[in-house]
Amino acid sequence: MSASQSAVRSRAEAVQVSRTFDWMILFTLFTAVLGGYHIHYMLTGGDWDFWSDWKDRRLWVTVAPIVSITFPAAVQACLWWRYRLPVGATISVLALLLGEWINRYMNFWGWTYFPINICFPSNLVPGAIVLDVVLMLGGSMTLTAVVGGMAYGLLFYPGNWPIIAPLHVPVEYNGMMMTLADLQGYHYVRTGTPEYIRMVEKGTLRTFGKDVAPVSAFFSAFVCIIIYFLWHFFGRWFAKTDFISDDAS
Amino acid sequence: MAATTESVKADAAEAPLLNKRNLTLGMLLYLVFYSWVRWYEGVYGWSAGLDSFAPEFETYWMNFLYIELVLEVVVSATLWGYIWKTRDRKVMSITPREELRRHFTHWTWLVCYGWAIYWGASYFTEQDGTWHQTIVRDTDFTPSHIIEFYLSYPIYIITGVSAFLYAKTRLPTYNEGLHLMYLVAVIGPFMILPNVGLNEWGHTFWFMEELFVAPLHYGFVFFGWAALAIMGVVNTEVDAIGKLLKKDLA
Repeated sequence: MSASQSAVRSRAEAVQVSRTFDWMILFTLFTAVLGGYHIHYMLTGGDWDFWSDWKDRRLWVTVAPIVSITFPAAVQACLWWRYRLPVGATISVLALLLGEWINRYMNFWGWTYFPINICFPSNLVPGAIVLDVVLMLGGSMTLTAVVGGMAYGLLFYPGNWPIIAPLHVPVEYNGMMMTLADLQGYHYVRTGTPEYIRMVEKGTLRTFGKDVAPVSAFFSAFVCIIIYFLWHFFGRWFAKTDFISDDAS
Repeated sequence: MAATTESVKADAAEAPLLNKRNLTLGMLLYLVFYSWVRWYEGVYGWSAGLDSFAPEFETYWMNFLYIELVLEVVVSATLWGYIWKTRDRKVMSITPREELRRHFTHWTWLVCYGWAIYWGASYFTEQDGTWHQTIVRDTDFTPSHIIEFYLSYPIYIITGVSAFLYAKTRLPTYNEGLHLMYLVAVIGPFMILPNVGLNEWGHTFWFMEELFVAPLHYGFVFFGWAALAIMGVVNTEVDAIGKLLKKDLA
C-alpha cells in the first residue's frame, strides 16, 4: 500500500467513516464541555442558580450572565473560527442545562427531596441563541462581543421572567412581607439559608426603586462584553494543536 | 471478478474499523455502575451516612472508601501498564487503514472519557452541593465525597490517562512529541483531585455552611476550564483523520 493510498476503499465508506467520527466527536465535545462548564458555573454562580430564594433582582441578574458567557465564547472560538459552525454558544448552554436538569431531578429532588420549583436552573438559551446568530450574521469577534455580549446580559432577566415572576409575588408571613420564593426558603431550610450567607438584594441599589433589575442587567451586559473578549482568546488557546518535545535528555 | 470476490472475502475476515461492541459495552459499563452507585447512595446515604461517628457509617461508607481506593490503584496500574507494555514499537510503519482503525479505537476511549467527565464533574459534583445543603458535614469523608472525589474523579482520570497513553503508543499522529492540549485535557481535570486537599483543609478551618460560590472552591473552577482543551485534541484528530480519508482511493 503506497503512502498516498487512502484508508478507505470507496467514497461511500469515506462518507460513512466521516459521519461516524462526527457523532463520536460531537458526543465527546458535548460531555467534556458539559463537565467543565458545569463545574465552573456551579462554583461561580451556583447558589443563585440552585435556589429560587436566591434568584433576586440584583445579584442573580448580575452574576449569572457574567459567569456563564465564558464557555460559550470559548467554544465559539473553536467551532466558528475553525469549522464555521455557528452553534458554539447554544451547544454549550444546552449541555450545561442538560447536566443541571438531570441533577435537579435525580439528586436535588430525587435524593434530598427539594421540590423542583425551588431548585430549577436558570434559563440561558435566549442569550446563547442571540450570541450565535450575531456571530453567524456578522462573522466578527468584536461585533459578537459588543452586540452579542451585551444582548446576552440584557436578555437574561427577560428570558427568565416568565419562570420567576410567579415566585416574586409578595406575600405576608408572620407580619413580614417577602416574596413567595423567600417563603419557599423558609420551609426548606438549608445550610446556606442564614441571611449572613445568602447574598440577596444587599446594598443600596434599592435606591433605584423599581429599576433594580434593569440596572443590574445593564451592568451585567457591560461586563459580559469584556468577559467575552477574554474567553474568546482562552478558547483560541485551548483549540491549539501544538506539540512539545518529549525528549527528556 | 475473482479479484473482487477475494477483496470482499478479505474485508469480511478483517476486523471492523469501529468495534461497536466495545463502544457500547464501555458506555454501558459507566451507566450501569453509576446507576448502582446512585441506588447505594439513596439507600445508605440516609440510613447510614448522617453521622460519621456511628458504627454503621464505618460499615457502609468507610469500607466503601477503602475498597474503592484499592480497586482504583489496581485497575489504573493494570490498565496503564497493559497499554504501555503492549505498545507498538513500529508505529510509523502501519498501513493507513490500520491507522484509521486505531483512530476509531482512540475515539472509543475519548467517548468514554467524555462520558466519565460528565458523571464526575457534572452529576456527582452538583449532587454534592445538594447533600451539603441538607446535611451538615462532620467529616471530610461524607457519603457524597466518597462517591464524588474518591470514586468518580479517579474513574475519569483512569479513563483520560488511558486514552492519552493509547494515542501516544499507537497513533503516528502523536509520535512527534507531547500534544500540549491533550496533556491539559488530561492533567487539568486530574488536578481537581489533588485540589480536594485544599478544599478539605479550608473547610476544616473556615466554615461549616456550604456556600458553593466561596473562593475556596475556585481551584476546582480553574482546573475545570482544562476540559476545554478537548477542542485542541478534536482539531488535531480532524486534521489527521481528514488526511487519511483524502488520500487517493485504492
